[in-house]
Amino acid sequence: MAETSDPDDLKARVEQIGRDAGAERVACCMFDYHTRGWWDYQGDEWFHAASTIKVPILVGVFGAIHRGRLARESRVHVRNRFLSVASRQPFRVEAARDANAVVPQHLGRTLKVDELCFHMIVTSSNLATNLLVDLVGLDDLRASVKELEIDGVQLERGVEDNDAFDAGISNRVTARGMVKTLRHIEEGTAFSVEASARMLEIMHEQEFRSGIPAGVPDGAKVANKTGEISTVAHDAAIVYLPGRKPYAITVLTEWEPGSSGRHDTIARISRAVYNHLTAAGKKNA
Amino acid sequence: MPDATVLKMVDGTTLGAEYRAVLRPGELMRDRSRRVRRLPRFFYEIPSWDVALDTQLAPHFQLWEFINVDVRETELLRASWPRYIPCAVSLLAAYLELFRQEVGTYVHVAANGGYRSPAHRFSGHASPHLWGTAANIYRIGDDWLDDDRTITRYGKIAEKVLPGIRALPWGHGVGETDDQLHLDLGYTVVVPSDAPGEEDAGPVPGHDAEIAEVGAR
Repeated sequence: MAETSDPDDLKARVEQIGRDAGAERVACCMFDYHTRGWWDYQGDEWFHAASTIKVPILVGVFGAIHRGRLARESRVHVRNRFLSVASRQPFRVEAARDANAVVPQHLGRTLKVDELCFHMIVTSSNLATNLLVDLVGLDDLRASVKELEIDGVQLERGVEDNDAFDAGISNRVTARGMVKTLRHIEEGTAFSVEASARMLEIMHEQEFRSGIPAGVPDGAKVANKTGEISTVAHDAAIVYLPGRKPYAITVLTEWEPGSSGRHDTIARISRAVYNHLTAAGKKNA
Repeated sequence: MPDATVLKMVDGTTLGAEYRAVLRPGELMRDRSRRVRRLPRFFYEIPSWDVALDTQLAPHFQLWEFINVDVRETELLRASWPRYIPCAVSLLAAYLELFRQEVGTYVHVAANGGYRSPAHRFSGHASPHLWGTAANIYRIGDDWLDDDRTITRYGKIAEKVLPGIRALPWGHGVGETDDQLHLDLGYTVVVPSDAPGEEDAGPVPGHDAEIAEVGAR
């Protein structure tokens, strides 16, 4: 299919990419600051959030900072012991599932809130995430999401809480909800300009770049957060291209366990959205 | 390095209202079983983090290890100086030194696992941590204390070499521990020899109300 600026063509293209890859479900939502326009494909469909929930958690932590409950420099005891929201039984996050080595190295000691935020996003540290959820509390995190009027995000628990998973309690997002979250960060309205700038700075340090960033040219700067478990693979990003205003985009995908080609599919959808936007730019030029 | 004898000892009841509100010297507090315990009254005054880093409580234990807390501690006792720690911490350090001799390697006290004040977010009830007589140990040498075998093994060593010590057993329930070794001396209070007598303290905040409540039950 030729790349055009027709939104219906883009929907057909995204649908086709998902179908070709064998994805069970695909959703994509995008807000373009250049045209101030929204576009989505299944943007209000709910998906298991996987690690994309760490962006709303990041926003929630900065909400707690904004309310004076803690400071970025506040030190947090690093302890790998959490209570399930379902059974109240203790559980630990598995070190093998964490790409981050820094946080486990501080077991028994402390790390700053800002450092935990960094590790939660940049290497998707589950230990850092649960420490922040434990520290701030789900109610306070949800209050931040609510205060920013972000619908499309359901924050129910930390990560690796298997008892909660078995009880059907999971974090869920929609593509549109994630883009709304990204927009607050980009627009400096996530509690303050300074807080938003720090969140964006952290997201720019992302180490997992095989999704949305892989679908845009090398000259682009991308602040993103991935999420992946056995049945889903996602990416949420703000894409900065030379010579135009940025766009916020989220791609959510659902798969049969063990299926392959997930990152490539997200990258191809990212490429399709990029082509659509640049085709629109050429048309408007 | 200086030892604890260089630290100024203070009667907590003579401190300013801000400090008394968080340290609650001589006040009564209930433990997890609702038994009433009297909080310590005499404290070492720690003027700075440098002093805490520099002061040996025992040959292998420095003062900072017992005041290392996180954001759950009240701001007054984690973000400003001076800080205060019950004088009984010197007994705890001596006990841990004996324990270290027995295990022959480094003994690491966890953050929040030494002294924490009654205002600390974990201090919902009286525990020996508020007396400066408990330590949560997360690592001994290369051993992480996060399983039944390791916690039980070191707990038994502690109970063998340290008379009167309590080592919480491994487990997930109340009064058990699964990711650190908790050792404590109980609600031990140290009253320095030249400290003022009880009669000099005047009315003890919380005393009358607590006793009346206990008597009424």
